[in-house]
Amino acid sequence: MSLDELRDKVMSIAETTIKYAKDLSIPTAEVYVLEQSISNLTDNQGKIDSRDGLVQGVGIRVAVGKKLGFASSTGFDNDSIKISLKKAHDIAKVSPENPMFEGFVTDTKLAKEGIFDPDIPHLDSDDMIEHCNIMSKDIDMSDKRIISGSYGVNTIWEGYAVGTTEGCLSSSLNTVYGANSFFVVTEAGDRKTSFDFVTGRKIQSVKKIAQNALTKAINSLGSKAFGGTEVLPTVWEPREASSFLMFAFFNCLSGTTYVEKSNPWREKLNEQVAVKEFTLIDDGQKPDTSACRAIDAEGIPKQTTTAIENGILKTFLFDKMYGQAAGFASTGNASRGGIFGGVAYENIPSVGPNKMLINEGSKSLDEQISEIDKGILISGEPIGMFTANPVTGDFSITCSEAFLILKGEKTDSLKTISIAGNYFDTLNNIRSLGNDREETGGPLDAPSMTLMNHTISD
Amino acid sequence: MESEYIFDLLHKAVEMGHKQGGEFIEARYDDLQLTTINLTNDIIKQSSSNNRKGIGILVYFKGTPGYSFTPELSQEGVKEATKRAVKFAKSTDVRNKIKLDFDKIPEVKDNIEAKVKKHPKDFEFNEKLDMLKRGVEQIKEQVDATTTIGLFGELYGEKYFVNTEGSEIFWVPMIVDMRLGGVIVREGQQAQAFEGSGSSKGMEYFEEKKNTPEVLGEETGKYTKEQLDAVAAPTGKSKTLVSPLMGGVVVHESFGHLSESDFVVTGQSPIADRVGEELGSEHVTIIDEGISPYGGLFFPYDDQGVKTTRTVLLEEGILKGYLHNRGTANKMNAELTGNSRAINFMYNPIVRMKNTYFEKGDLTFEEAVEQINTGIYAVRMSGGQVGLDGNFMFNCSRGYLIEKGEISKPIKNTALSGNILELLKYVEGATKEIELKTGYFGGCGKNGQGGLPCGFGGPNVIMDQVLVGGAK
Repeated sequence: MSLDELRDKVMSIAETTIKYAKDLSIPTAEVYVLEQSISNLTDNQGKIDSRDGLVQGVGIRVAVGKKLGFASSTGFDNDSIKISLKKAHDIAKVSPENPMFEGFVTDTKLAKEGIFDPDIPHLDSDDMIEHCNIMSKDIDMSDKRIISGSYGVNTIWEGYAVGTTEGCLSSSLNTVYGANSFFVVTEAGDRKTSFDFVTGRKIQSVKKIAQNALTKAINSLGSKAFGGTEVLPTVWEPREASSFLMFAFFNCLSGTTYVEKSNPWREKLNEQVAVKEFTLIDDGQKPDTSACRAIDAEGIPKQTTTAIENGILKTFLFDKMYGQAAGFASTGNASRGGIFGGVAYENIPSVGPNKMLINEGSKSLDEQISEIDKGILISGEPIGMFTANPVTGDFSITCSEAFLILKGEKTDSLKTISIAGNYFDTLNNIRSLGNDREETGGPLDAPSMTLMNHTISD
Repeated sequence: MESEYIFDLLHKAVEMGHKQGGEFIEARYDDLQLTTINLTNDIIKQSSSNNRKGIGILVYFKGTPGYSFTPELSQEGVKEATKRAVKFAKSTDVRNKIKLDFDKIPEVKDNIEAKVKKHPKDFEFNEKLDMLKRGVEQIKEQVDATTTIGLFGELYGEKYFVNTEGSEIFWVPMIVDMRLGGVIVREGQQAQAFEGSGSSKGMEYFEEKKNTPEVLGEETGKYTKEQLDAVAAPTGKSKTLVSPLMGGVVVHESFGHLSESDFVVTGQSPIADRVGEELGSEHVTIIDEGISPYGGLFFPYDDQGVKTTRTVLLEEGILKGYLHNRGTANKMNAELTGNSRAINFMYNPIVRMKNTYFEKGDLTFEEAVEQINTGIYAVRMSGGQVGLDGNFMFNCSRGYLIEKGEISKPIKNTALSGNILELLKYVEGATKEIELKTGYFGGCGKNGQGGLPCGFGGPNVIMDQVLVGGAK
């Protein structure tokens, strides 16, 4: 099936479902239709696993006035779709009113689609094995320091459509390619891990991934204890900065927590929340990212939203319902998350970021390091960000891949350190932003950055 | 869907797999019904009914697996999925260095379901919503909360399994779950508490005194309120009494994953090749089992059709073995344990835990608190993160100081961290009462398969040298 045929297919199912809703005298309905072809291959130290298949399903919201019900089913068979319509209707009839609900999307407006790679649907298991071969080609597994090396390749090509009884019928397509490598190394009782990856909407070059991961892991060996407790500047590599800050922005820019009055920035609109050099854009229209879609998960055109400009909080992110409840328009941020291995069609829309982009500064990572008399370079993903207090912003996390910076030089690798501080203070203590923002495949891309006043201890 | 039709489709997948060159075939069908109700601030944020059904086919070629799945419950759908599974197994075999083939065993024919007195499908939507409303009312009686949350979840359905050996297994999973939460945001501070849990029993679980909406709501309100006056826990290494829930999560996340044999055969686990070594104190015995007398998750067969066992991982501190699928058990010459699990038909089974817990000790709760004398009582957690090196960090969302051998003030949210392989040496005892729970909400994540229901719990466990609060 071609991408165009996939679009026709999901649009047709959305249209048919809306027709069934009308046939069943269901007053107001919305359907989300998803078809996704996925293939994964992992080589874990020579142990191969693969997974391949077709994800298909519909998620249906029915409104009876302001009463809402939701049901979903796998596959596209007509009986299952009709059963889901009836179930959603039955739930809506007995649910209490949701005062925030003001209706589904009423028209078809499209933003730009992202780029597609027509070769991704044709990648098969032989190609994926070849990509693993390329990754591992120059790795010397006779190096006694290597405990294990892993390689992975994954592809997705997908389409979804949103239809409503109110007149919306829209769709969006996507192609995704990812490859990764992970190493565990040891020497003299010291054990380190490292990970590298590429991801994007087109097939990527995988040549350097494994070597990058292995080199990083090997360079972390011979780690020493930090010894004591000290307040120091921390320099974060781009991916690590993204992981570290994601937690704060998920919560602080959420229109849901704003409406539910648990957002710590609720009273900060148009106030300074970060240094003036800091700007954050939520971008649903950057064509090479998976977030770039013609519509969000409830049929609103995606857009580019400046959430923080020169350190000033300009807006929160909203879907249709929470935007209306707050007196704002949707920012095209409806997403469909999932629990229990759930896929998008099993979930109602909720507010989620598109691709949050922190602006780049002018300095390279090395230049930032050279400006530090004593500090810490964070070179691997820290753990424990979720333990931060979402209201006060206090955090205490650990990192096992960090280096001591002394007199402008990256020196000893460190054993696991704790890093403590406050997210809100941190945003106002950004000393510099790097010129090296990287694609993470996740919802936030950041450049490297130097942050002040973190408490470091063993 | 008629069970005869399903078994027939699965047998056809096995036949087709063999015809195309597959050497061993496993075919599964899941038909699961999931219901979620989310009542936030008296508004139904979500009321959903999800039906998740489809077929997964695992083909082995010279010990190399290939997995494919389809939601299309037809011969055509199954034929295409089988073809793709065979193709993946064959074409990836060239690179596979760890062959996980296994010997054939006699066929298994079984039909089993959890003992449920009150099936959730016999309860109307409004009855479930009413439980949440009753719970939330009790929260409000206790405290003026900024946000109240009531969650109800249920999962039940049918699981079918067929393989090359001719096995035919049918079993019925069941989980019901209710959670209540209160949040107060005031003057730049936040206080919050969540209570509740799940079980593989039916709705009768919520009639047990400690699990009624009224009791859970009252406790949630009380614990939210006490957080307003909570004190910061002293930072640094501390003796800690970890509750059954907290201890269950710690042993699952930080030790249990290291004992999963896929990490062992690849050498990634730091406890690989260490059977017989002393990894913990004499007070540490760790169990993983499918159907436990202490409750928890009802899990009779894994997704390779293996009957689950009671697996002793650590006995009085000595490492006894690992958790296996059929391939790793064969490779390591170990007994089958029934730990090959997939979150649903869209995923291949991988090595996962069942009900994992610290075995009970001989202390009363009062004796345990007295033994700690000065330290922390960690009751409830919200979120955790671990590394393959045994490092962990959990957020203790409800806890208390222990001062002079007695539980005293509540403490604010605090991080608890350490390395499990070091901490197991500092386990100093456990209480003699034990209880396991499971959940619809939360669950275990591994290799992209998040939210797998497992059993959590155990006794209260005394640990020394737990790092409280991270950096000072």
